[in-house]
Amino acid sequence: MSTNPMHQFNVHRIGPEITLGNVDISFTNASLFMMISALTIITVFFVGTKRKTIVPTKIQLVTELCYTFVSKMISDTAGSKAKPYFPFIFCLFMFVLFCNMLGMLPYTFTVTSHIIVTFALASVIFIGVTIIGFVNHGVGYLKLFIPSGVPLFLLPLIVIIEIVSYLSRPVSLSVRLFANMMAGHTMLKVFGGFVISLGIIGGWLPLSFTVALTGLEILIAFLQAYVFAILTCIYLNDALNLNH
Amino acid sequence: MKKFSELDARLKIAKEKANKNSLTSDKKNASSLGRALKLSTEMVAAVFVGSIIGFILDNGFDSKPWLTIIFFFVGAIAGILNVIRSAKLMQKNND
Repeated sequence: MSTNPMHQFNVHRIGPEITLGNVDISFTNASLFMMISALTIITVFFVGTKRKTIVPTKIQLVTELCYTFVSKMISDTAGSKAKPYFPFIFCLFMFVLFCNMLGMLPYTFTVTSHIIVTFALASVIFIGVTIIGFVNHGVGYLKLFIPSGVPLFLLPLIVIIEIVSYLSRPVSLSVRLFANMMAGHTMLKVFGGFVISLGIIGGWLPLSFTVALTGLEILIAFLQAYVFAILTCIYLNDALNLNH
Repeated sequence: MKKFSELDARLKIAKEKANKNSLTSDKKNASSLGRALKLSTEMVAAVFVGSIIGFILDNGFDSKPWLTIIFFFVGAIAGILNVIRSAKLMQKNND
C-alpha cells in the first residue's frame, strides 16, 4: 500500500499491450471500471424491469425512481421537445452516477477523476448539442451569440465574448466533475494517511474526519452526476428552444 | 372496507409529509451545494478557454503576447457573464 495520495489515480494496464497504429488501446483498470459500471447498470435495470408488479419490489422501485427522476428533470429544464433525448441523458446520468458511486467503494478506481474521461463525455455533449442546434434552426442558431438589445457598436465585442462563453461550456462541465471527484478522493486518502501516521492514540480524530468526509463524498458523487445531467438538459434547451 | 379507508387516510398523511420534507430541508440543501460548486467552475473555465484561444491566435498571427492578454480579459468577462446567467437561472427556478 502506498501512502502517496495520488497513487490511487494511476492507470495501469491489465493484460497484454494492444496498439492500433500509434495509439495504445490496451485494456486498463479505467476501462475495467467503466465496463463494471456499465454492466452494473444493465444488470440492475434488467432485473428491475423483468417482473413488473403493481406493488413494486425493491429493485423495481429503484429503477422506477431513477426513471421518474430523470424524466422529471428533463421536462422541468428542457421542456417537452427534449423527450426524444431522454435515453441519452438517462444513460449519461446513470453512467456518471455509477462511476462516481463505484469509486466510493474501497479498492476501486474512480473513472470520473480523470479529466480525459469527463472531457470526452462533455465534448460529445457539446458537439451533439451544437449539431442539434444547427439542424433545428439552421444558420439561425448563430443568433445564440447575438443577445437582443445590444447597441451596434458593442456587437463585435459581445459576439466574441459570447463565443468564448459558449466554448467554455465543455471545459466547465468536465472540470467541475473531474475536480470534485479528484479533490474528494485525494482528501480522503490524505486523512487516511494521517490515521496511520498518528497511530492508535492520535489517529481517532482523522478517522472521524474520514467517516464524515465519506458521507460528504457520497453526497457529492450523486450531486455531480445530477449537475452534469441537468447542465446537459440546459444546453439542450438552448439548442431546441432558442430563447436568447 | 374499513381497512381500505384507513389505509387511504394513512397514505394521504404520509404523502403530505413526504412532500413537505422534500420541499423544505432535503432538496434545498443538496441543490444549494450543487449551485455553489457550479458557479465556481463557470468562471474559471471561461478564463481558461479565453486564454487558450488567445494563445492559439497569437501563434497564428505571430503577435505574442498581445492577443493572449486581450483574450484573457475577454475570457474573464465571459466568465462573469456565465456566472450572472446561471445565477439568474437559479433565481428563476427558485420563484
